[in-house]
Amino acid sequence: MPDAATLQQVEPTAASEVADLLRRADTQGQAVVVCGNRTKARWGVPPQRADVVLSLKRLNAPIEHSAGDLIVTAPAGATLADINALLAGERQWLPLDPWAGDHCTVGGLIATNDSGPRRHRYGAPRDLLIGVEFALANGCLAKGGGRVVKNVAGYDIGRLLCGSFGTLAVITSATFKLSPKPPASRTVVVRTRSEAEARALLIAITQSPLTPSAAEVAWPDTRCLLRFETTVAAAEQQAAVLTRLAAHHGATAEILTETEEKPCWERHATSVRRHAGTLLRVGVLPVDLPKLLTALQSLASESGLRVVAIGRALLGAVLVHVDGDHAQTAALVGQLRTRLKSANGHVSVLATDPEVAHATPRWDEVGNPAVQQLMRAVKAQFDPRGTLCPGGGPGGLT
Amino acid sequence: MPPVLLQALSRTLPADALLSHPVDLLTYESDALVHLRAMPGAVVLPRSTAEVAAVVRLCHEHGVPFVARGSGTGLSGGALPRRDGVLVSLARMTHIRHVDLDNQYAVVEPGVTNLEITRRVAPFGFYYAPDPSSQSVCSIGGNVAENSGGAHCLKYGFTVHHVLGVEAVLPTGDVIRLGGPTPDHPGLDLLGVLIGSEGTLAVVTEVTVRLLRRPEAVLTLLAGFPSIDAAGEAVSAIIACGIVPAAVEMMDRLTIDAAEAAVHPNFPPSSAVLIVELDGVEGEVRELFSRVEGVCQRSGAETVEVARDNAARDRIWKGRKAAFAAMGRVSPNYYVQDGVVPRTRLPEVLRRIRDLEQRSGLRIGNVFHAGDGNLHPLICYDESIPGQAERAEWVASEILEYCLDAGGSLTGEHGVGADKRASMAKMFTTDDLDTMQRVRCAFDPRSLCNPGKVFPTPRLCGEVPGPYRAHPIERAGLAERF
Ligand SMILES: Cc1cc2nc3c(=O)[nH]c(=O)nc-3n(C[C@H](O)[C@H](O)[C@H](O)COP(=O)(O)OP(=O)(O)OC[C@H]3O[C@@H](n4cnc5c(N)ncnc54)[C@H](O)[C@@H]3O)c2cc1C
Repeated sequence: MPDAATLQQVEPTAASEVADLLRRADTQGQAVVVCGNRTKARWGVPPQRADVVLSLKRLNAPIEHSAGDLIVTAPAGATLADINALLAGERQWLPLDPWAGDHCTVGGLIATNDSGPRRHRYGAPRDLLIGVEFALANGCLAKGGGRVVKNVAGYDIGRLLCGSFGTLAVITSATFKLSPKPPASRTVVVRTRSEAEARALLIAITQSPLTPSAAEVAWPDTRCLLRFETTVAAAEQQAAVLTRLAAHHGATAEILTETEEKPCWERHATSVRRHAGTLLRVGVLPVDLPKLLTALQSLASESGLRVVAIGRALLGAVLVHVDGDHAQTAALVGQLRTRLKSANGHVSVLATDPEVAHATPRWDEVGNPAVQQLMRAVKAQFDPRGTLCPGGGPGGLT
Repeated sequence: MPPVLLQALSRTLPADALLSHPVDLLTYESDALVHLRAMPGAVVLPRSTAEVAAVVRLCHEHGVPFVARGSGTGLSGGALPRRDGVLVSLARMTHIRHVDLDNQYAVVEPGVTNLEITRRVAPFGFYYAPDPSSQSVCSIGGNVAENSGGAHCLKYGFTVHHVLGVEAVLPTGDVIRLGGPTPDHPGLDLLGVLIGSEGTLAVVTEVTVRLLRRPEAVLTLLAGFPSIDAAGEAVSAIIACGIVPAAVEMMDRLTIDAAEAAVHPNFPPSSAVLIVELDGVEGEVRELFSRVEGVCQRSGAETVEVARDNAARDRIWKGRKAAFAAMGRVSPNYYVQDGVVPRTRLPEVLRRIRDLEQRSGLRIGNVFHAGDGNLHPLICYDESIPGQAERAEWVASEILEYCLDAGGSLTGEHGVGADKRASMAKMFTTDDLDTMQRVRCAFDPRSLCNPGKVFPTPRLCGEVPGPYRAHPIERAGLAERF
């Protein structure tokens, strides 16, 4: 594989230029690697071939906000920060808080379906995307969805592009549904004495009327972060209810106000936002979370690896960062897979070093041979000549 | 229908699972879009995934098209059968296979009705959120196919936001699983594109749905306004306050009259009514609800009734949910349209619909999901008067044009099906449709799975525009396209 960093980077400023570039590359049999602001440059599988690096970062204006319709349309190169700065004036937001932080571009956000703690209430990009414009490998510009929040006309191509890692089409613009920005926020930091207690408390929360916007677990300094974003009175009231519920389960709880919670959430996010080491995306059933943490505990202490995990406690979506010896890291990934298999869990390696990648598969199997065949068929339909990020697709099939 | 296929089906299925006598087939001639009818070649009623797979594999072997059918409540002819094909009814796959409240999901067969899921988990304080008006009859498989929504999807989203995984039979007869109760499955999000594909990609044989905890508090109000415009302003003002209600529904005078005649919900004698419902934690709901009440007063509400108890709330919703069926009380026939406009363009589109009413001489009732701009104009006509049925159809298609002119969509929840496929080219370019066709060809290269739906012109997958090939003069370096 040629080193993408040494290749010339093309930075078009219009969708038509993106299309022209793709058409030319496709005809000439060149492989195109797509990127935005490179906030996730280490994510995904390095493509098998790369002749052109296509960066969408200059395709970044205009951002069109329709406040009364609660939607925004932004070009692929606009960053989440640009968008939310514009929306703030109308007290609205695109409530995504991805791993990469808010300097990621819209295109990168969709291509990786990257999300964060607020996924608990608001969902991931695939849940908020209502329309998309893109260029196909053959140079056609096309769209899916529309600019209305409710729409079932035709297939939802936008959703298919979410998490496709740039292997099906190049996103040029996207429309998202928005939410009003809640006026107040409170965070409750809960510490339990044991993992079993944590499990009981989390189940009690799902059965309570509480409506947190985020429900996170963090490890190894085990704690849960519950966030309530609503009116001042309702946020305070819910924080108080949770504190009582925690006490009932023998846990301690501390309520943080807006100024106090900020550094806490920043620390939480940056604990896994590291540009070295190995980043895993793990999916488990929510009640199996304590089991996952126990497994991490024993694997970390056996291997001496530095392991940090944060995740959406009530969804079972966890990010694990592993730092240390490559062979040990690969072994940890393998053992984690073995332990989670019977519980329907899975482990994807989002970012790692080549040494680890050689020693362990990036992805669990995507399904039976029919599913594998189907994913290959979708790729072949969209990009028959393998122009777009060859080999870089999710699941390792595309 | 090749007789050999019928014989093979009868060898594969129990005797009571195959219907081919014309009398038995009548029930299956149409879905709820009754003017499109066709007698299916045969109907099968499988009881298991294995039976569905066996039927589909036989169809594949014989090159015979098949159409999945849930409860047949679809309003776009999606389950319209083919004379030369097999209709696969999922009506006998009605088991709830697994409920896991700790992890908040349930695994159900496709023929389970939407409401049945909620009924099963309600005693424990949970429910399945998407609530189409047809929820007591429509199947979850049909909901997945149509990405159905309901009055409460403004806050809670559509089927796609509540389905975690499916098991499905591909047009080859292969059984696949996409997604599941654990998040972030590796690979492409094929589940995301299967939902809403109107039965044209696969037959869904099992669905894993997310269950939600019932909200602690629900408050509902019914406000009467002197005009549709005033009610519309109230909706804008609510949204501008930063409030996302669980539901915001609007009805005009004609639909209020119809509902009154049918179920007597005791609606005010206003030109328009608005139903606004908030739900969530008690404190939040009370605080925001009093703001909504204030907004309604300031926007010129003539009456504001706050539902005192569940009985009052049920009465209000009964009035709203009866609106479609109740049109029969004020008109011999009516046509239900389903279109979407950006919410801020509602006043302009409603004005055009009023002009159209005058011009066409047909009465048009308006009942709609005001929060998300999803219109359901009800066009009244009398088919015994020559020319009226055609005129109603023309009026319905005019209204779609208005929606598209305003930047909206052909359909918000009823789907394209057989009914609106010709209009798809008005909303999408050839390249847009070709992209959808690529997905179709990956799943169903032989176009056997519910063909003739969604796409404006049937096309064989061999015809997919292939990769760009240089023209000889380009290859010779005599011309460039860029
Ligand atoms: C009075 C009334 C009110 C309605 N209100 C609403 C509403 O509020 N919101 C809304 O969204 N819709 C509404 N609808 C429309 C309809 O109820 C929905 O589209 C519903 O999801 C259809 O479900 P069904 O089981 O009846 O499907 P069917 O009508 O049997 O089929 C619909 C489509 O789904 C496909 N299909 C069915 N089962 C499967 C399966 N297992 N696998 C693959 N494909 C399958 C069929 O091929 C067809 O294309 C209403 C309809 C009526 C009659």
